[in-house]
Amino acid sequence: MTVAVTGIGVACGLGHGKTAFRKGLYEAPDIFSCLTREGRGPAEGEPPFIGVEMPEPSEVLAPRLARTASFSGRVALSVLQEAWQDGGLDDIDPERIGLVVGGSNLMSREQALAARDYSARLAYVPPRHAHMFLDTDICGLCASTFKIRGFAYSLGAASASGAVALIQAREAIRSGRVDVCIALGALQDLSAYDLHAMRSLGAMGSMRFSEQPGQACRPMDAARDGFIYGEACAALVLCRQDLAAAGKTYGRIAGVGLAVDGARGPEPNSAGQVRAAMTALVEAGLSASDIDYVNGHATGTPAGDDAECETYRTLGLEEARINATKSILGHGLSAAGAIETAAVFIQMKEGLLHPTRNLEKPLDSRFNWVRSEPAVHDIRRALKLSFGFGGMDAALVLEAPDSGGHTS
Amino acid sequence: MDSKQIADMVIAEIRETVPELADQPISPEDSMAELGVDSIERSEVILSTMEKLGLKIPMVQLHGPKNIGELAELLFNKSAG
Repeated sequence: MTVAVTGIGVACGLGHGKTAFRKGLYEAPDIFSCLTREGRGPAEGEPPFIGVEMPEPSEVLAPRLARTASFSGRVALSVLQEAWQDGGLDDIDPERIGLVVGGSNLMSREQALAARDYSARLAYVPPRHAHMFLDTDICGLCASTFKIRGFAYSLGAASASGAVALIQAREAIRSGRVDVCIALGALQDLSAYDLHAMRSLGAMGSMRFSEQPGQACRPMDAARDGFIYGEACAALVLCRQDLAAAGKTYGRIAGVGLAVDGARGPEPNSAGQVRAAMTALVEAGLSASDIDYVNGHATGTPAGDDAECETYRTLGLEEARINATKSILGHGLSAAGAIETAAVFIQMKEGLLHPTRNLEKPLDSRFNWVRSEPAVHDIRRALKLSFGFGGMDAALVLEAPDSGGHTS
Repeated sequence: MDSKQIADMVIAEIRETVPELADQPISPEDSMAELGVDSIERSEVILSTMEKLGLKIPMVQLHGPKNIGELAELLFNKSAG
């Protein structure tokens, strides 16, 4: 059964909604600066963290509910509203609609603030805190605001969560459980505690670019120095192809792959990445030479980008165009796989690839990188990769609406 | 602090917790449930008022009042006791 994408909603540092997203992807403005959201300040004497914070979302909830919802929850609702309208879901039987929210420990910033505020007066902890910091509170907010009555759950796969949400949403349709399933890569609302740990781990960009935040995020460039955080959230509406209105699809998810490396920590593993990609290609009935565009994981960590280039070489992706969405948005962590898949479909529709910021000296010059300028390109079959701590490797093969059928 | 002042505190907490009631007249004769304040919101209102009063008692001891005035009276007695 073929599964199409029929609705998209996005939020990131470029703004809210697809119009701002499309414009920002192609113009690739510098949106990096020091993080200022409450609860993200550095330890005394340390430089502030660099990253991207998004503007306030439009408020979907009534005030009495909005004040009880986390930032991740409010952004999810704003993004879902856009995807819901785009996908025309008011006309679908609610019991045939499901929701998969990708991400875990999503609200750690607000939970840290609550712990700070209430640690000396535990007797007065608001009862609401029993559920509002659960990742599944996003499911509850979404399903109580929009008519989703099939199922809803959250899942965790670290920075591959958004991609794995897409994989599971597609599976729910293919198994017949629902006809429509929303995959939502939720906003990972990092606290100063998380940011410090990421910096100490060496995964997040160091202080090398603290005077030039716009230079810090440089996936696949020789001078890369670690990933740079960027707030993001995206929802994609997946639908049985035969139920999707003709001419109203962004494309389809033709194959998926999921592998685990057997590694516990942040270390990447090219062999696992290749296995995930091959699984997705085989399911799509394609080989790597059929792929004309790669949207990689490409975070800008020294080891991660090296391993990923090895994966590209092993697969033989020298002919494909490649760019790195994180160079513009930063790393959305739990949301990355979802918003970057949205970026693939937007580029597919426009026939234009977005530039890669700060790609001055590509790690491997054999690849067909999109560098500082957008590139006209008719994407037919794209490979989207997403990886996460704990050895998570996810791959998606995404096909243009009119790129010829596949049967499975 | 008398029970009338405590009732005013409760009403202020209700308006804070349910912004939709900000401009609606609320009197001690009203019940929170009838005003549309749901059970979790009622707990929040009561806990916030208890904190302002410096009162630490289990919530179960506050069951029973039929309206805001009776709740304020009970909170007043617990504070005094």
